[in-house]
Amino acid sequence: MLDIVREYWLLFLVGNYPNGPLGGLALTLILSVLGICLAFPLSVVLALMRTSPWALLRAPALALIYVVRGLPLIMFIFWTYFAIPALLGHTVSGFVTMLCALVIYESAYLAEVIRAGIEALPKGQVEAARAIGLSHMQTQRLIVLPQALYNMLPSMLSQFISTIKETSLGYVISVQELTFAAGQVNNMLLTQPFEVYALLALTYFALCFALTSVVRWIERRIQRGRRSMPAAAASPAASVEGAIA
Amino acid sequence: MISFSKVGKWYGDYQALVDINAEVAKGEVVVVCGPSGSGKSTLIRTVNRLEEIQQGTIMVDGVDTHVRGGDINRIRSRIGFVFQQFNLFPHLNVLQNVSLGPVKVTGASRTSAEARSRELLAKVGLAHKCDAFPSQLSGGQQQRVAIARALAMSPPVMLFDEPTSALDPEMVGEVLAVMKSLAKDGMTMVCVTHEMGFAREVADRVWFMDAGRIVEEASPDEFFERPSSQRAQKFLAEIRH
Repeated sequence: MLDIVREYWLLFLVGNYPNGPLGGLALTLILSVLGICLAFPLSVVLALMRTSPWALLRAPALALIYVVRGLPLIMFIFWTYFAIPALLGHTVSGFVTMLCALVIYESAYLAEVIRAGIEALPKGQVEAARAIGLSHMQTQRLIVLPQALYNMLPSMLSQFISTIKETSLGYVISVQELTFAAGQVNNMLLTQPFEVYALLALTYFALCFALTSVVRWIERRIQRGRRSMPAAAASPAASVEGAIA
Repeated sequence: MISFSKVGKWYGDYQALVDINAEVAKGEVVVVCGPSGSGKSTLIRTVNRLEEIQQGTIMVDGVDTHVRGGDINRIRSRIGFVFQQFNLFPHLNVLQNVSLGPVKVTGASRTSAEARSRELLAKVGLAHKCDAFPSQLSGGQQQRVAIARALAMSPPVMLFDEPTSALDPEMVGEVLAVMKSLAKDGMTMVCVTHEMGFAREVADRVWFMDAGRIVEEASPDEFFERPSSQRAQKFLAEIRH
């Protein structure tokens, strides 16, 4: 196995770069980071629509989220693979195709994470904001989202970690990411598939494990911050009681 | 200053407010009391439209707060509201909590809003806590910040929804003291509270509610000494034990 690493580490890391296109682990990371970064603003919009008081905004967001969550990612990869050339009239690279599929897919999942964060806030936060005269949008922007996004940071990072794993599906449309690089190595060696794919697994695992540890650390920090809040202010149940009395 | 006329509110089949007709004059302090579930909080929350009504009208300072197509944000900014659970914004410090409304709603400059916020915080005895976050304050201090936050909009009326019910007993006094000084300054106030000492000392009138109706309106002395309805007599007997 060490021989394979010694021989092919550069292919694993950056693909055929600089003699060919950038690939390998570098491309996997670029795809995941770009995918999440582009999906994030979309998901905030979707979450706001999903929790909006107006059914006209709620319905399309709900429909999109349910459709996306009810289908496997590979369906979206195939769809974008055939749809984008049909829409644009010319072909685009596998990278762009994969990125589009990822953004659609991740924004639906992230939107649900953010919605959970919004709905977990005590009702009194919105009431207090509206009571001083802030509009619905001001309340979302200044009061709801800053708290909801902060509280949901660990879940959003977990979504990022699963995105890293999902980029491996780019293999089916020949995006030259990490799994594709492993496939190339395997084709060159022919006799050591177990070792090559074990190396691939190890790489994904090391990356995801490291990131999961970061998430756990952030989670603990956020919980510490919450514990220092007085019980009355931190308990949403009590404020609901007050509203009914 | 505040007038309810023929106000009715339903939660599905359940009628929470029944034919409310009442007035609060400018500078008057009204204490609303009654057994739990009698509609006190619902009543006070309809004033700034945190709850919708299905019948009647509510006027505040000459404006119908439930009018269709009205600028509800402007209307709400003219009505101070203090919650049982304080509801300070935990991600903002004390000064930001208080100055947020003036800056974002009335468009005041940050410097002038902060100067005024500091004054108000001094008035509620918390000038030294401007940079603290809500989680670092006691319940009594949080509620005083919440009062300052409501006052920052310079509203002509202040509504208090059980402002001391979530507090430890030793912190009730500091919040009531702030409310008393507000009353002395001539603020129009409606307070839902079980603090009978406060009602006797500060209130001009007491409204006693039961089953969604205001069943008794009287001066505090009259109400506590000679309650006319049986329901009020029973209620007073219960809270005195």
